[in-house]
Amino acid sequence: MTIEEEVSKTLAELGVTEAPAVEALFAEVRAAMDSERQELVSRGAASSTEREKTAKALRDRWLGRKNGLLAHIDEKWLKPSSRELKPIVGRKFNELRQTSAQLEMEALIRDVPVRAKVNSSDPGSKDASFASTGQALSTATGTVAVTTKDSVAVEVTTAAADLTLPGYRRRLGSIHPITRVQREIEDIFLGLGYSIETGPEVETAYYNFDALNIPATHPARDDMDSLYVDAETVLRTHTSPVQIRALRKHGAPLYILAPGRVYRRDNPDASHSPMFHQIEGLAVDADITFADLKGTLDFFCRKFFGEKVRTSFHPTYFPFTEPSGEVSISCFVCDGAGSDAVGRSCRTCKASGWIEVMGCGMIHPDVLGHGGVDPERYSGWAFGLGIDRFAMVKYDIHDIQLFFQSDMRFLEQF
Amino acid sequence: MKISLDWLKEFVAVTAGPKELKTDLTNLGLGVESLAGAPSRITGQGEAGLPTEANPSAQVSGDTVFEIEVTTNRPDCLSHLGVAREVATLYRLPLKRPRIELKESPALTNGAVSIEITDPDLCARYCGRVVRNVEVKPSPAWLVRRLEAVGLRPINNVADVTNYVLMDLGHPLHAFDLARLRASKIIVRRARPGERLRTLDGVDRLLASENLVIADAERAVALAGVMGGEDTEISASTRAVLLESAWFDPVSIRRTAKSQGLHTEASHRFERGADIEMAPLALDRAAQLIADIAGGEILGGILDVYPAPRVRPEIPLGAGEIVRILGYDVPAGEVERILGSLGFRMVSRAASPTGREGLSSSPSGGRPGAWIVTPPSFRLDVAREVDLIEEIARHFGFDRLPSRLRVATRRIGEENLPVQAGRREKESAVSNLLAGLGFYEIYTSSMVDPEENARFTNRPPVVLGNPLSQEASVLRSTSVPSMLHALGWNLDRGRTDLRLYEAGKIYVAKPASAGRRESATKPGGLPDERRVLTLGMSGARRDASVHEPERALDFYDLKGGLEALIEAFEASRLGFAAEGCAYFEPGFAAKFLLDGQPLAIFGRLASRLAREYKFSRDVWLAEVDYDRLLELPLRARSFRPFSKFPAVKRDFSLLVPMGTPYERVAEALAGARDEEVQSFRPVERLPEGKIFPDHYSLLLRVTFQSATRTLTSEEIAGAGRRLVEGLAPLGVRLRS
Ligand SMILES: [Zn+2]
Repeated sequence: MTIEEEVSKTLAELGVTEAPAVEALFAEVRAAMDSERQELVSRGAASSTEREKTAKALRDRWLGRKNGLLAHIDEKWLKPSSRELKPIVGRKFNELRQTSAQLEMEALIRDVPVRAKVNSSDPGSKDASFASTGQALSTATGTVAVTTKDSVAVEVTTAAADLTLPGYRRRLGSIHPITRVQREIEDIFLGLGYSIETGPEVETAYYNFDALNIPATHPARDDMDSLYVDAETVLRTHTSPVQIRALRKHGAPLYILAPGRVYRRDNPDASHSPMFHQIEGLAVDADITFADLKGTLDFFCRKFFGEKVRTSFHPTYFPFTEPSGEVSISCFVCDGAGSDAVGRSCRTCKASGWIEVMGCGMIHPDVLGHGGVDPERYSGWAFGLGIDRFAMVKYDIHDIQLFFQSDMRFLEQF
Repeated sequence: MKISLDWLKEFVAVTAGPKELKTDLTNLGLGVESLAGAPSRITGQGEAGLPTEANPSAQVSGDTVFEIEVTTNRPDCLSHLGVAREVATLYRLPLKRPRIELKESPALTNGAVSIEITDPDLCARYCGRVVRNVEVKPSPAWLVRRLEAVGLRPINNVADVTNYVLMDLGHPLHAFDLARLRASKIIVRRARPGERLRTLDGVDRLLASENLVIADAERAVALAGVMGGEDTEISASTRAVLLESAWFDPVSIRRTAKSQGLHTEASHRFERGADIEMAPLALDRAAQLIADIAGGEILGGILDVYPAPRVRPEIPLGAGEIVRILGYDVPAGEVERILGSLGFRMVSRAASPTGREGLSSSPSGGRPGAWIVTPPSFRLDVAREVDLIEEIARHFGFDRLPSRLRVATRRIGEENLPVQAGRREKESAVSNLLAGLGFYEIYTSSMVDPEENARFTNRPPVVLGNPLSQEASVLRSTSVPSMLHALGWNLDRGRTDLRLYEAGKIYVAKPASAGRRESATKPGGLPDERRVLTLGMSGARRDASVHEPERALDFYDLKGGLEALIEAFEASRLGFAAEGCAYFEPGFAAKFLLDGQPLAIFGRLASRLAREYKFSRDVWLAEVDYDRLLELPLRARSFRPFSKFPAVKRDFSLLVPMGTPYERVAEALAGARDEEVQSFRPVERLPEGKIFPDHYSLLLRVTFQSATRTLTSEEIAGAGRRLVEGLAPLGVRLRS
């Protein structure tokens, strides 16, 4: 049987069922390749055009993408091989491929004088003719030894370079997961035409609470236990004060996104940090309805968490919105099932199938009023979400403290 | 709030299973935090019968208890009646009210006790009833079961009844031992200066005049709406009970509860707003139950002091406004059913031609769609039309309302803030560039230790009034210590390849004298929040590999990084000064200046600090004034044609007098260059004296190229000669 015939049959058809037989078969192929290669090398004296032709034929025969012998071996021997034989066939096939890489190389290196000859026909170049006479070729950057004894050159090159060594790499840094998530969120809304607005982290109690319908006597003020500077100045407990500042500054219509750092008087643990990050979104216009809130946030959640995610809205209470809602998404890990295919409960959604992701609502008319916007003429919706929390959900991080520890073992993963 | 399903069924014939009910309650805004079987000893089934959330069917003969998260605006749902009303509306079921049948004795309450409110601003209503000849003893099993199901500890039958009514109807009650009230008198008043009261929890409390108290003829006997006093507590010897059912001002109760550090079931409800009309009903219910289980006789009539009966507002509601807010024309019948079932009174209002109703998109046109709505007394959260619309949306179902995506109609960046849109692009450019240079972004805490902060800057930090700890008691006014800690954290863990950056803020307090804010709404004295970009490096430029041995970072790694960063912007007037500041090692620090002002300061951390921070390796730092950098435009990308003619490189070996920095050489070269000199750069520097005394040797590589022709060797030689001649004033000469 010729090699061509052999590689057109599967191992089963060849009756090869055990590892030693596989080894013998590959040894046979390897021997054939070596002898053909030897033949090529021994033609050293023949004209370069003819050698080039032979080298190409040899390359096509072994390495041709579609009809090369290696392609056939891959197709007929490796892919359909039995589970028991696959490891040995795979290993032998890889060895063969590495050997054949030298075939490729020989052909390439033999190309050099051929190209030089083309160059030498260029009347502007005096140097190129040196190449074919075996002298040193001087260049602007250095000196390269070239010899017409091609087989020697091949051996020198292949012995010097172990191409399996790792590459010479520059280390890339990374962008913090919170920045990544913030940018991703911003990009979605910038695509919808929203603008980015910011406000101070050290905020007046008026902007942080009173203008948002949270007077000092309101029990909701306890829900956001704040760090304060003095009676009238707090570290903002949410990004919502930017709503008022932006409305006062720009008036309506207004479509903005306000990212930033916020603070609560919480002792740090795996799920709490006295410092975290939020994004506030807001749309105020002449005909904004609850439908816009739902449609926009549904679009946003699908863009951020994936198209197959579904959203659900349920009521809650915020002093600064009316009606107020919370958005849940169907779990993007278990697809809303609450458990995986074998019934293990899902960690991401705590087996509920849903993940609560943000708060939202129609802006309270009093808040629009505090922002200097006529609530009879304009209506609006707003949302607020925790960037850290989004990052935790997205990257499966279970300890918020990791964000602020600057540990390289964490940072390197982003 | 714990809600027992069995108890709920006394008000509404709910058939939904626990899991279904949990979902439906959540969709009404009554989030269920947990769902569990009631304690097993009550069901009499033993441990094995304990039902679980995963298997709700296990509790067929037991009860299910829902832990409901009631938002602060819905005190009415802090009771089984309130939750039942929501459930009844949801499932379109009737709400059953408890039947109260009192057997009153001919003797009158009025003769047994007197009630006076001297501070009606803090107590709008006070109702009292007396039950005589009671037998105080443990409660019957059904009552114990109910209380334990919702997490309350049984005490005695009288106290248990008041707690039962609290959980049942939501109205807090208090029971006094009538015999211990001096002169059988109740006076509702502010506490007197220095007045003391020993409350039921055994704490002796000093009262303030902002605390409202219930007093008898002589002394305070209860902290109104918060907790009773020990001395008038119901005991085994109590024979006559005075039941109190009142309505206290929410703000006052909240203040008292906060200042006394006493949060109770009663204060929790009063500070959110109790139902003023429920006061007499709750009283009757409690009296009836006490008579039932503790015996005794209920004296005739309620003593009800209610100086100014409350009137609920009349709120106009129009279909047009419902559409304007919800984007959906909820059918009028549905609106009326929902609000009616929730206890709102509605009357139709003729549509006025000028009213908003006229804009209604209703196709039928002729339907009324206009109401006057009166909210019930237990819904203090409803005061405006939009509050009514929320009720409609809640019960119609958020998920049933339509959804629409639309894009912004106005971009503020284009009109008012030309820099704003570009700012984000700049920030992205900076972080992408730094990541490309091998820097890892970090986020560090804004709250730091004031002493450490002060060692690195004299800018005043923002001091917190109620910090979590001394180590986090100010907002930093320098970012350097944060970076040092980040580097130290990783050095301690054996890392030798650190390049970190933080794009953060520092906070500089305004001096107190600088005219603090003009008004609360117009901030004048808020701190200065400045953005800083901080770079920190330590360890190897590149880890050892088969290709190259490890090489330590040096000054020029940091300088090169900063050059690349700044060159991403149009910074034409950039200067350089070889001086740092106190925390840098002298001789290893420098500044980049923009218009003479520092843009970046960088160098090696002073070795005394490196020792104090116990750094095992050199640490390199840079601080960039990020606000100023971001004000610069990003380097414009526009194409300039390059020369088609060959470039020729020539090396010049120069001898430069000691003490002449390269910067001076470069300036002289720039002044002397012909247009054929395309670029020059130093490629080798040998130290002073090595080649020639008092001179260092500098190998300069110059590229010559013309835009219009191929240069001849004579032209190149000429341009090179003129370049070297330009250096003569510095004493620089060619090495022969
Ligand atoms: Zn899941």
